[in-house]
Amino acid sequence: MSGPSAVERVVARALLWGGLLSVSLMIGGLAVYAAHGQPEARDVVRVLHNRQAGRAVDVFTSLSDVRRALGRRPPDALAIATLGLVCLLATPVAGVALASVSFWRQGDRQYAVIAAAVLTLLLASLALAGGA
Amino acid sequence: MSPLAFVAALFATSLVAGVAGAVLGLGGGILLIPVLTLFYGVDLRYAMGASIVSVIATSSGAAAAYLRSSLSNVRIGLFLALATVSGALVGAGLAGIVPVRALQLLLGGALGYSAFATLRQLRVELPESTEADPLALRFGLEGTYYDAPLDREVKYRATRVRRGFAAMFGAGVLSGLLGIGSGAFKVLAMDYFMRLPMKVSTATSNFMIGVTSAATAGVYFARGDIHPLLATPVAVGVLAGAALGTRLMARLRNTTVRKAFLPVLAYLAGAMILRGLGIVLP
Repeated sequence: MSGPSAVERVVARALLWGGLLSVSLMIGGLAVYAAHGQPEARDVVRVLHNRQAGRAVDVFTSLSDVRRALGRRPPDALAIATLGLVCLLATPVAGVALASVSFWRQGDRQYAVIAAAVLTLLLASLALAGGA
Repeated sequence: MSPLAFVAALFATSLVAGVAGAVLGLGGGILLIPVLTLFYGVDLRYAMGASIVSVIATSSGAAAAYLRSSLSNVRIGLFLALATVSGALVGAGLAGIVPVRALQLLLGGALGYSAFATLRQLRVELPESTEADPLALRFGLEGTYYDAPLDREVKYRATRVRRGFAAMFGAGVLSGLLGIGSGAFKVLAMDYFMRLPMKVSTATSNFMIGVTSAATAGVYFARGDIHPLLATPVAVGVLAGAALGTRLMARLRNTTVRKAFLPVLAYLAGAMILRGLGIVLP
């Protein structure tokens, strides 16, 4: 019986570990939130920014927001959960990047280029949408 | 509803969405958005943010297992992702230029026809072997998987690759124009146009939806539409559901998956035609 190819194993591993890491962070964040409730002090800049934009105060809109909230003592529980969400969103992109590298290592230049092109298009659409 | 009960209810709903998404190759938004907005009173923007998270969670949860069992085909997924992602870029550029309602009517009609075509091949377990497509040979769009209900290895090769690629590009344009997920279109293009086994189509769609939704998800995050208290239980529930869905899929026949897919297709066709007529379903 034929099994998965080396590339399929690499991508599967990336998706599995990305998913597990994300879930661990999300459950950890939710557990801390359930134990301690809302943070006693939130990042004033983020709260003001969110209120001006008509968003909920606990929403994060950038990685620097998440990093700042994680740097507080104790760390913001929702920032831990958000870090898990960010890891989850990055997981498929990491899978495509690893697929490109794996195809290249296997000598399959055609699919290494196709995977790299998909990655480039993804980043381009993200950049375009972000600038819109 | 207490916060804990709300989180538990969200988790349970997302678990069901994850199972359905993993089997049908969809992101789960078709189920999650109406439930979140109608039953839980969640703001539409946060429901859509949670939905895009659920797409990627379904993909990560299901595709890992499908890749290991060779049901998901990385080469076909990446080859077609070229069409959907570039189509989405074109669609985003056309927003505001193309008459969206006319497009929705056209798309609804095409989906309705596809539902009819799917109905006709409802009892087809595996597509008949067809003439080799030069593009399929050139790009290695073929594979083998072990089918437990049939108790044998199934070899397959894509056909009518140009049509499948064009359909994927069209699905990408619509995603970019209308901001919709396109899991159903991906399954349709692989099952109907490229004549891949239904289970390979939904499993490969599972791999693709995560890839093509990643850019959109980044935009939702930057816009502040992904609320951690809502998206976290959804993501965890969907991941768990997707893991269950992959186990269920291993026991299903291709015809069963197609039968489950048909009502989704019919619903999408109806919803798209109604949107084109100016009536928006939740």
